[in-house]
Amino acid sequence: MTSTSFMMIIFMILPIFSWCATSTVAANLSPANLDGLKAQFQTAMKSFSDVASLHYTLAGIKELGVQPPDSFCNDIKKLVDKSNIESIYHATEAAKTLANCKLPVEDYRSVVTSTLQSDKSTTSEVYYAVSSSVNLGLTVDEASIEKRLNALAKTDDSILSQGYALLTGAQLSQPVAKFYADTVNDLVQQADEIDGRTLQYEGGVGTTALLVSAFYEVAEKAGAAMKIDPKQLHKFASYFSTKRHVATLRSAYYLTKVFKYLSDNKNTMPVVVTRVSPSAISAQNPSVLVSVSNLLGQPVGEISVVAESAKRKDDGVVVISKQKLTSKASDFSVFELPFYDTKIPRGFYTIHLTLTPRGDGKLIGLTDNTIDVKVTSEGAIENAELSVSDRDNTAQAKTYKLTYPNVQSEKLELDYHQKLVLKFQIKDKRTGEFIRVQQAFLRFTNKKSNKEIIYLAEATDGSNSQYKVEVDLQTNANDFRHQSGAYNAALILGDQLLQNAYEWKLNDNIQLSFHEDSQADKNHQNLYVPRPEIVHQFRLDEVRPPTIVSLVFSALTLLPLLILFILWIKLGFNLSGLPLGLSPLGFHISHGAVFALMFFYWKYLDMFQTIRYLALISIPLFIFGHRVLATLAARREKKA
Amino acid sequence: MSQLGQVVGILRKLNEEYQISTPKKLKLIDAYLVYVLLTGIIQFAYCLLVGTFPFNSFLSGFISTVGCFILAASLRIQLNKANQSTFNVTPERAFADFVFAHIILHLVVMNFIG
Repeated sequence: MTSTSFMMIIFMILPIFSWCATSTVAANLSPANLDGLKAQFQTAMKSFSDVASLHYTLAGIKELGVQPPDSFCNDIKKLVDKSNIESIYHATEAAKTLANCKLPVEDYRSVVTSTLQSDKSTTSEVYYAVSSSVNLGLTVDEASIEKRLNALAKTDDSILSQGYALLTGAQLSQPVAKFYADTVNDLVQQADEIDGRTLQYEGGVGTTALLVSAFYEVAEKAGAAMKIDPKQLHKFASYFSTKRHVATLRSAYYLTKVFKYLSDNKNTMPVVVTRVSPSAISAQNPSVLVSVSNLLGQPVGEISVVAESAKRKDDGVVVISKQKLTSKASDFSVFELPFYDTKIPRGFYTIHLTLTPRGDGKLIGLTDNTIDVKVTSEGAIENAELSVSDRDNTAQAKTYKLTYPNVQSEKLELDYHQKLVLKFQIKDKRTGEFIRVQQAFLRFTNKKSNKEIIYLAEATDGSNSQYKVEVDLQTNANDFRHQSGAYNAALILGDQLLQNAYEWKLNDNIQLSFHEDSQADKNHQNLYVPRPEIVHQFRLDEVRPPTIVSLVFSALTLLPLLILFILWIKLGFNLSGLPLGLSPLGFHISHGAVFALMFFYWKYLDMFQTIRYLALISIPLFIFGHRVLATLAARREKKA
Repeated sequence: MSQLGQVVGILRKLNEEYQISTPKKLKLIDAYLVYVLLTGIIQFAYCLLVGTFPFNSFLSGFISTVGCFILAASLRIQLNKANQSTFNVTPERAFADFVFAHIILHLVVMNFIG
């Protein structure tokens, strides 16, 4: 990474960071993304695949003030599905937007009438049928429609169904519309409030926009103002103003419609306050410029703006109180507040604005508007000095005084028993005090490999914040990987509130010599290469001796038996005293049977079976054994 | 040299005493004990030489020799007329206990031999 790209990154990131930090905190409304919506409609106009997109796009672009050409009439006739009431609805609505597009009424009459008469049609289908009838000029039986809607209201209470009922009411006569207009308040209560700031309906932006524009439509037909609490209307407006991009054409169309209603000065209008000047206040940019408009960006009439307070973010110090902003445009859409002043120190500020309209209040969102700005200042590097000294005794230090932006001409040579110390201070040009910055780095670049080694400069506490960075060629040798050679040194300074960032090349020719051999650079590319595959290893068998060895040893184990017999014979072992008869025989047989059972246990049986057999055999064994031993005991008694 | 001579002298005397004063029955049991000991030693030597591969088998064999040794030794103690005062059992009873204990030992060893 070269130093220029690093520099560019600092220059780009710092302002972006500060801009992001200031704009996400605002809870104000923002103007509608009309350009985005227009672009979305214009892209869609290039090719259509279904009649619904055609309807939404043509109607949407017409709302935005562009009249679609009549050539689309053929597309409508081609794409419409004559057996589907929704398709017919979209076709008639699309045809309505064009200057001269007549649809063949007779083709659709049967479907429309059957939908209206059917008991099975849903609220949306009823709306489609009624709307199509009105668009095509067919007569509508209001009484039966009202009855059908009432029946549907009992069975289907989803929010969308209620919305379609409202829209249907808006197509019928005024008393019906009035009835539905009175239900608007109930519907508003069914909306979900998020964070206490926005109101929305389940189903996303398309459904919410459809419903809110239905409120307006039905109120308009009823001839009465929409009965809605201004705070709740503001919350709906807040929700809509956060939707900068919408995914579907349907959502885009209804969103456009709702923005138009919310910006119509016949209705209650939410006011949008935005900052139009850059967020950084400096000598070149000393004022905050604020724009006041409605959601479509149009001016709202005579209005006065007062800055209630401007508070600094970190400590809450108030620098401005109840100051009126001056109007810069004749239509009262731009206002100015001078902010660059020696009495206002550097920092991040939140300005609270209150608006007071001249006429009667049809505007909402007049209080609680905030603007975030930051006051920056220019800095100057002072008292910069570079000193080279021995690690152990700093008394004999060679110090060089440096001034920005000069590059030091002397060649510095350091070896492993020396260290380099850089000291400097940064002064705020406006107030003359020494400040601390967010980024203060000393960067060494290896001239051959362009590798960078960066050290953090730390400031002392207190009012004279002196920065110091120390590089010791013995303790820090690992950072350089012991690579001796020629290096560049540069000082990098940056801060959100500093107008200018610094990349000051201190010295172009520093020779560093390290004690140990240089280590190669770590090849960072290899970190992301696939690692060697780990092959699963099953548990290795234990080491076994060759068969011969085990056989020999088995034979060897039987050898002592031979020795035993030899010893016994030598000692005079004889079977002369062996009693003969049934009992001894039985005893020997059952005893032998026990040993046989042991063998079978080893080879074939399990413990339970063995125990059972053992229990069985032990009975005769016990009986016969007892008898034999009794005989032997008697014999012994007789002898004694 | 003289020390070794002394030790050899003592051992010879011990052997003579043993041959004279021990009854034949006990000598037979002693021979059996020596046999069991030798078998145990051979098994252990095998294990040291080639490793403990079927460890359960080695254990069962070794425990078998140790068990037999202990049981035979206790039979010998009980049959020794010099200990009559301590133990009050007839030789037949001692033998019956010996057989019973052996059956249980063999059951355990067979279970473990695998």
